[in-house]
Amino acid sequence: MKALELEGLPAAPSGAAGTSGEVSAPKQAASGRARGIGQICRQLFGIPDYERYLAHAQARHPGAPVLSRRDFCAQAIERKYGKSGPRCC
Amino acid sequence: MNKIASFLLWPVIAIVGAFSFAALAWGRGENVSAVWLVTAAVCVYFIAYRFYSKFIADKVLRLDDTRQTPAERHNDGMDYVPTNRWVLFGHHFAAIAGAGPLVGPVLAAQMGFLPGTLWILAGVVVAGAVQDFIVLFASVRRDGKSLGEMIKMELGPTAGSIALVGVLAIMIIILAVLSLIVVKALTGSPWGLFTIAATIPIALIMGVYMRIIRPGRVGEASVIGVALLMTALIYGRAVANDPTWGPFFTLDGPQLAWALILYGAVASSLPVWLMLAPRDYLSTFLKIGTIVALAIGIYYVAPPLAMPATTRFIDGTGPVFSGALFPFLFITIACGSVSGFHSLISSGTTPKMIEKESHMRLIGFGGMLMESFVAIMALTAACVLDPGIYFAMNSPSAIIGTTATNAAQVISSWGFTITPDMINQTAVDIGENSILSRAGGAPTLAVGMAKILAQAMGGKSMEAFWYHFAILFEALFILTAVDAGTRVGRFMIQDMLGHVYKPMGNTQFLPANLVGTGLCVALWGYFLYQGVIDPLGGINTLWQLFGVGNQMLAGIALLLCTSVLVKMKRERYVWVTLVPTAWLLITTLTAGVEKIFHSDARIGFLALARKFSAAAAEGKLLAPAKSIEEMQRVAFNNYLDAVVCGFFVLLVLAMCIFAAKICLQALKQANPTANEIPPLGPAQGVPA
Repeated sequence: MKALELEGLPAAPSGAAGTSGEVSAPKQAASGRARGIGQICRQLFGIPDYERYLAHAQARHPGAPVLSRRDFCAQAIERKYGKSGPRCC
Repeated sequence: MNKIASFLLWPVIAIVGAFSFAALAWGRGENVSAVWLVTAAVCVYFIAYRFYSKFIADKVLRLDDTRQTPAERHNDGMDYVPTNRWVLFGHHFAAIAGAGPLVGPVLAAQMGFLPGTLWILAGVVVAGAVQDFIVLFASVRRDGKSLGEMIKMELGPTAGSIALVGVLAIMIIILAVLSLIVVKALTGSPWGLFTIAATIPIALIMGVYMRIIRPGRVGEASVIGVALLMTALIYGRAVANDPTWGPFFTLDGPQLAWALILYGAVASSLPVWLMLAPRDYLSTFLKIGTIVALAIGIYYVAPPLAMPATTRFIDGTGPVFSGALFPFLFITIACGSVSGFHSLISSGTTPKMIEKESHMRLIGFGGMLMESFVAIMALTAACVLDPGIYFAMNSPSAIIGTTATNAAQVISSWGFTITPDMINQTAVDIGENSILSRAGGAPTLAVGMAKILAQAMGGKSMEAFWYHFAILFEALFILTAVDAGTRVGRFMIQDMLGHVYKPMGNTQFLPANLVGTGLCVALWGYFLYQGVIDPLGGINTLWQLFGVGNQMLAGIALLLCTSVLVKMKRERYVWVTLVPTAWLLITTLTAGVEKIFHSDARIGFLALARKFSAAAAEGKLLAPAKSIEEMQRVAFNNYLDAVVCGFFVLLVLAMCIFAAKICLQALKQANPTANEIPPLGPAQGVPA
């Protein structure tokens, strides 16, 4: 179920943008790695991770409507800070 | 293969650690390199992690990877997300590391580097890391419940309500003391104030960018924010030297206090996306970046420790804070050894992101070791400074006066030789007008960091830049904490008032929100303002009050952990939490009672209050008060501090009784009675 989460570098989530078969394999690997690093950074700093949410939504609830990037980030920030627990000293 | 490597590795780490301690022990009287101190600490962390945390994970808690974690149970791609354990380790560390581990060790350096080091290392292994780990474990087994909810579940609703009031009181004190640190650092410092003030428009720009211009592009906004921040830092010097803008950004203590109070009220009322969130990202980047840079800097520069191993001030006569090593060292260094506040973080967002139970060892125990490492580095940065400079920066003006000549004379008479020229030269080096009486830890740490980082990069001419960089880094996350803390405090106050008068509890109701925010700001603002104008009190009163409160909270969290272990029928291992609980109770109750009742007016709140009110009644003026009215205010504030301190003492005693009762009941039961979610149950709480 949770295989889509990053363990090392994540498998490139097959994006909604459709796969153009012309991209060469090394190029694809490089962009996958960049995405992986981006994802690690986002999680580390607690930045909303829309790509991860999309991947999750496609794996878990295919066909169901998904939030737009704008709405997802707005909701994620509101939930994280709106009533967040106390910050540390 | 792996086994052989491990078989060889651990003795090597043990030998390196022992060698480092030996270097520290034999090097007394001459300057020992700070590298030995840091290396000794790192070896202790590795050994404690490898052996003690494994013992707790396998034997005491029996972590079980077949159990579902909250992240798996509720996986929603938003809040509940199983996260790679190293990423979550970093995330959790960034959440627990604040100003605490930076300030306490710097204040404690007045007793020399050794007492602080030993308490940081012993405290984190026996108490701090254990608390963070077991609270995280308890929360994960209870579907990510918060500390307050867990106390309610395991110790009863009354205990839960009492604990919540305690948490609110501690938060108020924390907000006041953190703000006071910022005031002390920015008083009469236009360069510093300009850069901090610049973070407000920068955060607003970031907020608008990621909400309206390019919705959801937080990463891009962060890059822009960091670039703008560095620009502000570089041009801050020009602003400070400008004939019109320089004086505009030069504020005194009370003005800064009002500015902060106003800031707290406004910032906590704005939508979170506009200011709080973008600032939090900025402060997290700076925090992680600076800590990594400092660690590299210490190893690269290998500065000698200028502070002796112990100073004469272990007898309790120190200028930075009064009170003997026992019990006051143990409440002065809170974060870094053991911090009650972490129990709130460990039961906050982290348990909702744990992928497997076994990961909690790295994240809970390991995360706290990392925080302790930050405390060791802060201690190091304070101890590489010339002790004369250290005391000039941290002693109140009531003791060392307000001129470099006077300060040098007083400090030299303590046996730490220093000349007025050295004091003035340090101020010039860091681009400030004066370094005297900048108590609170942040400026001292910033000077220490500036010395280390300038040697590693940029040389003497960069010292002023690095000093202001360090101040920016500390002030930025303190202001984020003030903003977030005021918000949380408001929710808690509204929640409590809601029980008395229903509409007050409605967080959508504007008048109720304003009353809640106003009350919260007024409470911490009061303590802040008194601290700023009180030449006696300030940091040395508030920090100790905070220390007592924070360690009491740790005591409460450990009492909960103890009750959980007993209820799980693991009473064989109950010493794991009972030993740190007992130590915390002994030190904090002693400190709390001494702070209230000690007959020495420099330590006891009541003694000082009586001294001032008696003198005021006779019409006599006691320095540093300048009027009878001021005398009465000093007396009143000390009575108030005594009440707050007494409240903490009673609170923790009440929790002891609750926990003891529950444990005795559980001991009589034949089966576990802890309220855990049973293993491999059907998926409770269907995900959204």
